[in-house]
Order: sequence, then C-alpha cells, then structure tokens
Amino acid sequence: MTEGAAQVPGITLADSWRSFRTAIGLGWAIEANWSDPFLFAIYTMAKPLAAAMILVVMFQVITGGQGTEFLQFLIVGSALWNVVFGVMGGLVQSILEDRERYKMMKYVVVTPSSLFPFLLGRSVARVLTSLVAVVLTLAVGVVFLGVDLQLNLLLLVPATLIGVTAVVALGVFMAGWCLQLRQEAWSYPEAIAGALYLISGAIFPVDILPAFLHPVALASPTTWWLEASRRALVGHGAPGIDGQPGLFEVFSDGQIMLFLVISTAIAIPLALAAFRWFMRRAREAGLLDMTTGS
Amino acid sequence: MSAYGSAPASGPREAAEWSNRRIVAVNLRAIVGRAYPRVIGLTREPSWLFFEIFLPFLAVSAFVFVYRALGAPEAFVGFVVLGGAMTAFWLNVVWMMAAQFYWEKDQGNLELYFTAPMHLMSVLAGMAIGGLVMTSSRALAVIGIGSLLYGVSYDVHEPLALAAVFLLTMIPLYGMGMLFASLFLLWGREAFHLAQLLQEPIYFLGGVNFPLRALGPAVGLVMATLPLGVGLDAMRQLAFASSDTNGVLPVGTEIVILVAMGIVFLVAARLALGYLETLARREGRLTLRWQ
Repeated sequence: MTEGAAQVPGITLADSWRSFRTAIGLGWAIEANWSDPFLFAIYTMAKPLAAAMILVVMFQVITGGQGTEFLQFLIVGSALWNVVFGVMGGLVQSILEDRERYKMMKYVVVTPSSLFPFLLGRSVARVLTSLVAVVLTLAVGVVFLGVDLQLNLLLLVPATLIGVTAVVALGVFMAGWCLQLRQEAWSYPEAIAGALYLISGAIFPVDILPAFLHPVALASPTTWWLEASRRALVGHGAPGIDGQPGLFEVFSDGQIMLFLVISTAIAIPLALAAFRWFMRRAREAGLLDMTTGS
Repeated sequence: MSAYGSAPASGPREAAEWSNRRIVAVNLRAIVGRAYPRVIGLTREPSWLFFEIFLPFLAVSAFVFVYRALGAPEAFVGFVVLGGAMTAFWLNVVWMMAAQFYWEKDQGNLELYFTAPMHLMSVLAGMAIGGLVMTSSRALAVIGIGSLLYGVSYDVHEPLALAAVFLLTMIPLYGMGMLFASLFLLWGREAFHLAQLLQEPIYFLGGVNFPLRALGPAVGLVMATLPLGVGLDAMRQLAFASSDTNGVLPVGTEIVILVAMGIVFLVAARLALGYLETLARREGRLTLRWQ
C-alpha cells in the first residue's frame, strides 16, 4: 500500500448521512415533484383504496356483511401490504431507473460514498407514499367500514419497526439481485412481493394454504409482522377457518414478536451479505452501466 | 421495381401520388411489421411468458384463497379465474398499448412513425393484433392452470356466443388502448403513474374478482364506459350458465353495448391521433424525450 493511499480517509457516518439525505430529495423529486400534484395525489390514494375495496366487495358478496373479524383482517392486511410493495418496488425501481433510464448508477458508484445509503434514500419517497396508503386505507376502514381499532402501541411500535426493517432487508436483497438480470428485472419485485402476498397470509389466513406451504409461510418475517400488527391494531390476529382455531392462535403476543425478531435477525445479515456479493459481481461483470432495453 | 412493389418515380410529384392500392399495401405492411415483434417475442424471450402467466396466476390464487376462506360457492372461483385471464388483456392494453407511444418517444422511434408514409392507426392496429395474439397465450395458460389447479367447472351452453362476446370485448378494449396511447403521449411523463392508476381501480370497477352486479349503483358507469366490465359480465353469464349469480343485463344487451363501445373508441382513437399528429408537426414537442 502506498503512503498516499493510506491517507485516503474512509467513508464516515456523516458522508453516508449526506448521501442518504440527498438521495431522499432526488427520489422525491422524481416521484412527486416532476408529476402533476393532482394526478400524484389521486394515484397515491386510488390504487390502495381500490385494492382494499375489491376485498371488501368480495367479503360483502359472500357474507352479506356478517363477521367483522374477517373484514378487519382483510383491511389491515391489505393496508399493510402497501409497505411491502412500496419498499420492494421502491428499492428495485430506484436501482434500475438509475442504471437503465437516467444512467447515473456508475457515477454514484464511483463517488467516495457508498451506493447503499444512496439506494436507501432514493427509495424513501416510495416508502413514504406507501405509508400514506396504509394510513388512508385504515382510515377508510375505520370511518366507512366499521373497523374497530384497538391500538396496542407497546406491540405496534416494535412490530412496525422490526417488520419494516425486515421488508427493507428483503428489498435490498431484491435490488442486488435485479442488478444481475438481463431482462424483466422490473417484474421481479412484483413477482416476489406477489409470492410473499400469497404465503404471508396478507388477505387470507395461512391455514387455507396447502400444508406444504406452511413452513415457507412461517419462515417469512412478513407473516409474523402481519400477525403482530393485526393484534396491535384490531386486537386479534388471523381468524380460524370453518370454526377451527387459527394457526397462530396458540401463540401469545410475546411469542409472535419473538418469531418476528428471529426471522428478521436471520433475514438482515443474509440480505446484506447477498447485496455485497451482488455488487461485487456487478462490478466484475460490468453490469453497473448495462442497458438491457427492458 | 423495388422489393416493396414500387417503381422509381420520374419526379417528386409522381413519387408523392400514391395509388389506393399502394396506400393499402403500405399500411397492411405497417400492421404486420408492428405486430411481428410481439408475436415473435413469444418464442424469443421465454422469461416474458413466465412473468405474464405467473403474475396474473399469483393474483388469481390469492383471490381464490380469499373466497375459500370465506366459504364461497365454487362458481366464484371460476369467476376469479376468468377475471384473472381477462386481466392479462387489460395489462397488455395499459402497458403495451396506452403507454407504448410514450416508451417509443423515449426510445426515439416515435419520430420515425410520424415521418414514415403510413397511418399511425396502422401502427396501433399492429400493436393491438400482436398484443392480442401474445396475450391470448397467457390468458389461456391462466385459465388452463387455474381451472386444473382449483377445479373450476364451466357450464357453457352457447360456445359460439361466448367466442363472439370475447372478440367483441377485445375490439373496444384495444380501441380504448389506442385512444389512451394518444392521451398518454400528450400527458407526458405521467405515463407510469397513469398506467398504475389504471390497474386496481379498473379491476375494482370492472368486477374482475366479483360479480359486477355487486357494485350497486356504480354499475351504470361501468356499463357506459368500461368494456372490460361489460365483456366479463357477459362472458361469466355464458361460461357459468347454471350459476345462481345473474349478470347486470341480458347477454344480448351487453353485446349491443360492446358493439357501440367498439365504434366509439375506434373513432375517438382516430380523432385523438389526428390531433396528436397535428401537434407533432406544428410544435415538434412530441418528439422531445423525457417530457
């Protein structure tokens, strides 16, 4: 190592914070400021509300409005899932847009800062938009559909912090993975989020899934996050099917939180290690300025 | 004589005066040329096939499990599978028709379309025909896999009427896509947001996952504007003839509505394209990228 190289300072926390902050502004500009504000507001509200209303109408058609426990289950799951789509979609779209559309990825990578805080910051706008969608969907549920909120903040706050962190970890993994792809990278977050939607019990109890999928469901932090959040928001988790007790009814709130912590603690280091490996491979294979035309 | 059947002209005036036969031939070639990449893409990029079957199938599965959790009659599973298949066409209309001119502008192809000696309607018709062929394979796969996996049983008394309703649904659906292609281009960089906006809200209004009648008074709006909803309602009546769920209107009436919608959307698309072309030539801003 030369003397000069040894004197090059490393990336400090302040550098990362500055990158993160700048990327937040950039992400918000791209997401919102460059759009028509009216259209952006409509888009932010209409999509999640329509997704929830589809489930509400399905529920009404079959039950005639009986059984509010299931309705609350649907509304909370549908609302919270906006975070998963927002985070995973936001991280992946950010990295792909910067590589394919704006062609800025290589310039960000060669700056003294790390790509990681930039990537997180760049996706914050989408995450915030998804949080607005969560609040809005829950508000509509409470005001118009009779959802009875029974807030347990002692459970809700840690569940949200840990759950969203787990979702961000999954998003980071996806972002690194999508950098490797030649085609259809844009579709991967939707596909993975869609698969998670299916196995996490977002809009139906996990019990209804075929038994061979139960271990997959229980391994995903999103399953535990949804269950913990439901208990914290409406006072109950997933209902049982056909009068049978639900899969999670045997677990206490503390046990649900414990499983959320364990699954998240496994997901985070795996996601970070995978991202580091994906980035190294992207540098070696020249993927950082690749344009797939997809 | 060139490979395209045109002889060298003696002067600019002669070159500019085309016979009707030549105009028709060029536009037919444009239709085939624009449809070709979409049809051939079926074999060239298998990952498309995976995603375009897998994604609608995931959504279909989620809604099937919701109905099962609610203890719904099995006919509703069939409704969801049919709705999921029709979703594939709607996604194709939104992303590969409506947003297409915007992407073409970003890629620099749009000015080539404007300067080529063909009508833009031919390009849109090519996109529609190619998209229809491409998406039909996806929709059939969703119906096949969904029906096998979830045990859907159909009760079709009038297969010809069902096929006719499907085709009559596609005409206004793709006509709407043609109209949106011009509008998306005019609205500029909002194309992504607009395309997103045309998904869940339209699935809701179109009754993709539940009988359209359940929408109550809003159903009148759907009947007047949304071919996806009208077509699905008619197809469900024909595909599940013995189910207890009635359609909004008799199939015959819905066919008349679809025909009227087809005419309205195609004429509106033609007018919107004319306006767009005028703008492109007068102001030139439609060929500016990132706008």
